[in-house]
Amino acid sequence: MTLIDGRAPDNRAPIEGRQLDNRAPIEGRQLDNRAPIEGRQLDNRALDVQALSCSYGDVKVLENVFLRSGSGECIGIVGPNGSGKSTLLKALSKTIKPSSGSIVLLDRDLKSFSQGELARNMAVVAQDTPSDFSFTCLDIVLMGRSPHLKRFAIEGKRDYEIAQASMELTSTWGFRDRMFNELSGGERQRVVIARALTQEPSILLLDEPVSHLDINHQIEILELVGRLKKDRGLLVVLVIHDLNLAARYCDRLILLNGKAIQAAGSPADVLTRENIRKAFHTDVIVRRHPMTGSIYITLMNPVSLEAHKCEGRKVHLVSGAGTGARLMYALVSRGYAVTAGVLNVLDSDYETAGELKIKTISEAPFSPITPEASAQNLESMKAADIVMISDVPFGWGNLQNLEAVTSLAGSKPVILVESAEKRDFTDGRATEMLDKLKAEGAIAAGSVDEAVARLASL
Amino acid sequence: MVRQLSGILRPVGGTERRAFRWMLILLALLALAVVVAVFAISTGPSNVGPDKVVLILLSKVPVLGDQIAKTWSPGDESIVLVIRLPRVLLGLLVGASLGLAGVTAQGIFKNPMADPYILGISSGAAMGASLVILVGVSAGLLAYGIVGGAFAGALLGAFIVFNIARTHNKFPVETLLLSGIAVSAFFSAVTYFLMYVSGHKLNQIVFWVMGALWNASWEDVLILAPFLLVGAGVIYAFARDLNLMLLGEESAAHLGTDVAKVKTVLLVASSLLAAAAVSVSGIIGFVGLIIPHMMRLILGPDHRVLIPASLLAGAMFLTLADTFARMVMQPTEMPVGIVTAVIGAPFFIYLLARKKRKVTG
Repeated sequence: MTLIDGRAPDNRAPIEGRQLDNRAPIEGRQLDNRAPIEGRQLDNRALDVQALSCSYGDVKVLENVFLRSGSGECIGIVGPNGSGKSTLLKALSKTIKPSSGSIVLLDRDLKSFSQGELARNMAVVAQDTPSDFSFTCLDIVLMGRSPHLKRFAIEGKRDYEIAQASMELTSTWGFRDRMFNELSGGERQRVVIARALTQEPSILLLDEPVSHLDINHQIEILELVGRLKKDRGLLVVLVIHDLNLAARYCDRLILLNGKAIQAAGSPADVLTRENIRKAFHTDVIVRRHPMTGSIYITLMNPVSLEAHKCEGRKVHLVSGAGTGARLMYALVSRGYAVTAGVLNVLDSDYETAGELKIKTISEAPFSPITPEASAQNLESMKAADIVMISDVPFGWGNLQNLEAVTSLAGSKPVILVESAEKRDFTDGRATEMLDKLKAEGAIAAGSVDEAVARLASL
Repeated sequence: MVRQLSGILRPVGGTERRAFRWMLILLALLALAVVVAVFAISTGPSNVGPDKVVLILLSKVPVLGDQIAKTWSPGDESIVLVIRLPRVLLGLLVGASLGLAGVTAQGIFKNPMADPYILGISSGAAMGASLVILVGVSAGLLAYGIVGGAFAGALLGAFIVFNIARTHNKFPVETLLLSGIAVSAFFSAVTYFLMYVSGHKLNQIVFWVMGALWNASWEDVLILAPFLLVGAGVIYAFARDLNLMLLGEESAAHLGTDVAKVKTVLLVASSLLAAAAVSVSGIIGFVGLIIPHMMRLILGPDHRVLIPASLLAGAMFLTLADTFARMVMQPTEMPVGIVTAVIGAPFFIYLLARKKRKVTG
C-alpha cells in the first residue's frame, strides 16, 4: 500500500483516537455517528440519554430513546404529531420525569440538578410564551439572569450588559422598551431567545421555535441558532416540523415515530424517501439542493383516481435537460407505466426518472448516443402504447431520439409538447422531423397539462 | 389618570434605573401611610389636632419622649393612645395583610381577579366565628374565642380547598378556584343556618360577618403583627419567582424556579395571613382584590415593587375607609366592610369594562 503523506489512510482512525462505536445496538438504535468531527472527545458528554422511556399515567409516550451529543452541535427532533417529540424535550428539560432510563447532562445525572442549577446550564425556548402582562422586552430578557441572582439581589451592571448583548444578537435591542405583549409572534420569539441566551446556557432546547413564523423569520432564527452553536459551542436540541429546515440547519436528526426512534443520523441518512413514507405515510422526493447542498424534500401528490382510467397504459417519453420532469411526475402519479430514453447519466431528467423508478435507457455522461442505446430505445418505444416528446431542444447529440420516433412512421400515437423557445440546433433537421411527425398525425400540445389531457382522451 | 400616573412612575426606558425609582416610590408610600395614620388618629368625634397626635406619639418613644414638653390634656392622650391608636394600627395591619395576601394570590393564580378569600378563607372564618358566638364562651374570653374560632375556620376552609384541588402534589389554578367556590358555598350555607337558629345573637354574627374594626384592641394588633411581619418577609423572598411565574409555570421552571415549592409556600403564607387578618376584623372585602390591581396598573407587574406597594396601599386604603366609616353616620358608625365594598365593587366593574374594551378593541 502506498503511503500518502506518510499515513495509511485506512488506518487513520485508531491513531487519532477516534472510536468507531460499533458497539452493537442491542435494543433501540444508538446515535453514534459523531465520529467524523475531528478533535471532539467522546467523553465530552454534553448530553447522554440512555434507554429513556416516558409515560403519562399508564400511557407510554416515549420508549427506549438513546441520544448522545457533544457541544457545538445542533440536533433536530423530527417526526409526525404524537410521536413523542415534545415529550423528549420535556424529559430533557426535567419538566417531566422519565419512567425509566437515564439522562446525563454535562457529565452529571439530570436528577442531581436543582432547578436553579439546571437553569444556569440549560435554557428552553417554548413554542409560545403567554403575554397577559405588561413587562417590557428588557424586563423579559433580564429574567434570564434570575437563576444567577441571589434571592434578594437585584440585577446589576453586568446583568444589563449580558442582556444587552443577547438582545443585540437577536436584533431585539431596538424594542427593549416596548411592551412584550405588543410584539408580533416573530419578534416575541426572538425576545424569548434573547432571554434564553441571557441565561448563558451551554445547552439550548427549542420546541418548534419557528412554527408560527413567517418564512423570513424562520430563516433568521435558525441562522441565529446556527451561529450561536458555532460561536458559543452551544449544544442545540430543537423540535422542528419542517423537514427541509431540519435538513438544512441540523447536524443530526432523530426521527421519532410511534414513540420510538425510527432513524437517527445525518439528515441524508434520516430523511430518505423510505423513512419519510414510513413515518408520515407520504410520498416525497428527496434531493440535494444544487445550491445549498443540503437535503430537500418535495411532496408528491397522492396517486390520483385517474390511475384507474389509464389502465396501466405504457408511455415512452423522449426528453432531456430537465424538460421531462413534470411529464414524468404527471404520468407516474396518474398510474401510467412510463419508460424514458435515451437520457445521459447526470441529466436532471435521468435523476428524476431514477427517483420515480422509471425504467430508463441511458448513456454515459456527456457522450453522444451510441447505436446500442438507440436500438434499445426503439425497442422500448415499440413496446409502449404511446410515445411522448417533451419540449426538449434537439442537437446533434440527441437527434437519434427523434429519428427513432419518426422511424415508427405513424404506427403509434405520438404526443409532442411544443416549445416557445428555439429547440432546433441541427440546422433544420429536427424541425423537419417534427413537422413530419405532425403530418403523420402526431398531436401537438402547447403545454405539459394539455399533453397529459390529450393523453387521457386517447 | 391611571395612565398618566403610570407614565410618570414607570417611564419608557426606565428599566435601568428602576431599583432607585422603586425605592423612591416605596418611601413616598411609606411617608403617605404615616400621614394617613396621623390623620386617622386625629379624626373623630372629638378632634385632636395632627400636631398634638404626633407629639403624643413621639412622647412615648424611649429617650426621645423625655425631650417633649406635655402641651396636651390627659383626655387627648387617652383618646389617642387608648381609643384611636389601636384601631388605626389594626386598620393599617389588616389592610396591609389583605393587600399582601391579595397580591400574592393574584401572582400565584396569574389572575388579576383572584383574592385570598376565594380559597375558602372568608367563608371558613365566618363559620368559625358564628359557631363560637352561637355556642358561646364565657364573656371574658369571647373576644379571643371569636378570633380563635375564625382563624380555625379559615384554616379549615383553606385546608379543604387545597386538598380537593391537589393533584399529584400540584395545585392547578382552575381546580383551586373551583374548589374554593364550592367549599365557600358550603360554609356559607352552614353560616346561614347558624344565623337562622341564632336568635338574639344574630346581630353579633351579622356584625362580625360584615367586617368592622370597632372592637379593635391592642391584643388584636399583637396577634396580627407577627403574621404580617413574617408573611411579608417570606412572600417578598419569592418576588422574582412570582414575576417568572407570570410567563407560565413551565417557563418559570426553566428559569430556575421550583414552581411547586414556591406555590406551596406562598399559598400557605398568604392563607395564614388572610386568615389572621379576617379573624381579628371579620370579612372586609375588596381590599385584597382592588389594591394589588390598582398598584399593578400604576407600577407595572414587577412583584419586587408590587408586593411592598400593595402592602402599604392596602394599609392606607383600609385606614381611610375605616375613618370614613367612623365619621359618616355619627354618633353611630358603619361597618367598614360596607365602605370597602361600596368603593371596591364599582372599581371591580371598571376593571372588567376596561378588560372588555381591550378584548373588543
